[in-house]
Amino acid sequence: MDLLTFSLNNIFALLQQMSVFLVIAYLFTKSPFFKTFHIHTLNWRQLPFLYCIFTVFSILGTYFGLPINDAIANTRAIGAVLAGIIGGPLLGGAVGFTAGLHRFSLGGFTAFSCGLSTTTEGLLGGLVHILLVRRYQQHRLLCPWVAFFTTLVAEITQMVIILIFAQPFDDALALVRIIALPMILANSTGAAIFVSIIRDQRKMYDELSVTFSAKALKMAEKTIAILSRGFDMETAREVASVIREETGVGAVAITDKEKVLAFVGEGDDHHLVGYTITSSETLQAIREDRIVYADGGEKKWRCNRSENCPLGSVLCVPLRVDNELVGTINLFEPKNKLFLVTNKTLGEGITKLLSDQILYSRYVEQKTLLTRAELKLAQAQVNPHFLFNALNTIIAITRKDADRARDLLMHLSNFFRKNLKRTGDLATLEEELNHVQSYLVIEKARFEDKLQLEIDIDPTLLSLKLPVFTLQPIVENAIKHGISNMLGQGLVRLSAKREPECVRIVVEDNGGNFEERGKKGLGMSIVEKRIKNLCGEQHGVTISFVPQERTTIEITLPAKGCSE
Amino acid sequence: MKIRALIIDDELHAREEMEALLGETGAIDLLGSCGNGIEALQLINRLRPEVLFLDIQMPVIDGFELLNMINQEIMPHVVFVTAYDQYSLKAFEEKTLDYLLKPVDSRRLTLTIDKLRKTIGENRPPNYETEAIRRIPCLLGNRIKLIQLGDIEYISTGPAGVHAVTATDEYFTEVTLKVLEERTALLRCHKQYLINIDSINEIVLLEAGLAKIRTHSGKFIPVSRRYLKIIKKKLLI
Repeated sequence: MDLLTFSLNNIFALLQQMSVFLVIAYLFTKSPFFKTFHIHTLNWRQLPFLYCIFTVFSILGTYFGLPINDAIANTRAIGAVLAGIIGGPLLGGAVGFTAGLHRFSLGGFTAFSCGLSTTTEGLLGGLVHILLVRRYQQHRLLCPWVAFFTTLVAEITQMVIILIFAQPFDDALALVRIIALPMILANSTGAAIFVSIIRDQRKMYDELSVTFSAKALKMAEKTIAILSRGFDMETAREVASVIREETGVGAVAITDKEKVLAFVGEGDDHHLVGYTITSSETLQAIREDRIVYADGGEKKWRCNRSENCPLGSVLCVPLRVDNELVGTINLFEPKNKLFLVTNKTLGEGITKLLSDQILYSRYVEQKTLLTRAELKLAQAQVNPHFLFNALNTIIAITRKDADRARDLLMHLSNFFRKNLKRTGDLATLEEELNHVQSYLVIEKARFEDKLQLEIDIDPTLLSLKLPVFTLQPIVENAIKHGISNMLGQGLVRLSAKREPECVRIVVEDNGGNFEERGKKGLGMSIVEKRIKNLCGEQHGVTISFVPQERTTIEITLPAKGCSE
Repeated sequence: MKIRALIIDDELHAREEMEALLGETGAIDLLGSCGNGIEALQLINRLRPEVLFLDIQMPVIDGFELLNMINQEIMPHVVFVTAYDQYSLKAFEEKTLDYLLKPVDSRRLTLTIDKLRKTIGENRPPNYETEAIRRIPCLLGNRIKLIQLGDIEYISTGPAGVHAVTATDEYFTEVTLKVLEERTALLRCHKQYLINIDSINEIVLLEAGLAKIRTHSGKFIPVSRRYLKIIKKKLLI
């Protein structure tokens, strides 16, 4: 027989075997193990598994071989070399040794040399692994060309080993002349294709998870902005739109425990917002507080509202906030479309995310409510003492000076009107001063000569914006705790000045009684909290005092004032 | 007979209004009005009013504290006048004959006057619950200084009035020796002296059962025979 023809026949025969091999390789990449398999992060627990896989490949390579002249032309090398490249010399050596031992047990005049060479090939693969890792070229471990050339060198090595160890030498030479070319080519090509299958599958998974993560992140980003405004019908509709847009499902519905809060997508002509829930899957999800899934195949979703509803499958995920069920999120697909597993996972994930976001928005809302309530409390707190003392003063003045009494009553009504009306977050310094002015006129009447006022405001600051109700509580504190506790002459200084970095408002009294109060009272804490919330953490209220001499409250605000 | 009254309120207009209202009743002989607790003590000791119209919230010494510093023998009836009943009504009942809310309604004031007349007519002396004095108001120039009880070494009385003596200073006070003996932990050691037991450094025994106390700051004060026994007992000698 012509040597070349024989070799070609052998090549085709070997390629045929290799095809069977590659089918097995393909199946391997579809196994659940492969999903967790990352070449850069192989751990020790995965090695025994890889050992088994590659050993089986290697031994199968022997069995699928062609018996020639008492020897076997085979593809045993692929398993051993690849084990070496992927898992290092230990794995390569172990696989090569096991498969070699198996070949040895089958006998023939090349039994020993083949067993030895398979082990060597595994170690050779391992050597390439080490070289690549040392040079930080891990990403090339799954390069088809690396597999090709490594296997090429390995197979040439095998031929040399056969020539050296197989006896008689003439038989060995004759054999090598027949099998060398087909085996070298078939094994190298096979290894390269094997590796490229693994690589492509890996890449597919990675790309899939990248798009998956990107989708999830995009949804998270969009929904958090929406839910920061609270969870209601309006925001539910927007969230439903985002989910539908990102997942591409047929329709998305958000419900509370009784009714539909939002419905977006196919079938929105008869699934209307505000309807009570009729979907048995949704009701089941609420009742049993678990995810209910009707895939549209075995378990079909049936619309209870319309015969012509295009939707056929649904995923109902309970929406829990702080461990309390508040509603459901429902993803629908039409009857003619498959419900994607990725969308199922995304749907479940996004619901968890929404729960957290709703919880957070509730927390923020409550915090704001609390500050508002505290502000109201502070406003209410001013009243009784001040009001009754003011009225008592005015009544006394009525006897002597009706005009002055009338003027004081105007200030009193101005003060209360401002107190009641001020609901926004910010006011101008002028408005604040106007409020304080009325307060001071009345207190001045009450204390008469005992209270002296010095007011020094930079007129260019009058339009400065600051949190509403900032000045009044502090001026009131100066009077209530400072002046009214003094026997001697009381003095309150109020000034507002520009400084290079900020605006400084100072309220000072000469009572020096701050020590007795100990800490910032409720009113001042609220003022400080609101300045920090609305104007930035670096601003606020500082207190300094000299006992029996003075108490100074300094408010710092941004140079350009606070903005909404 | 008109009821002799004193108005105590730190606000000028409040005093004037009260004066006018009391004048309108025709039942009151107004002895005077004043704006703080020290002046009030002075006037009470001197004028012996039958009733005080007393503001609760006043600088330095509030209305309640003022009551603690008045001798039980000359304790007037007390009508509290306050802008806002933040103190519970219970507190008022124990410590006062009546209370009025500012702005004071003249019809309501009439009821108070009736009640006063009745009580005074029955000759029922006021017996208000008083509390221990924690600090002694003293005049220092035109300022009032509150001396903590612990800072005081002894109190002495003489023709120039009552003086509270600390390690470094001596202050005049309107509070009488008797009130201080009754409502503080200071011990009587002599007709004219109260001693803070914590400030005793040594007791030097003299002839005829007399003794003198040396305070921590080195001042000597006499101990009379009558009180030496009591002091010894207190000191577990």
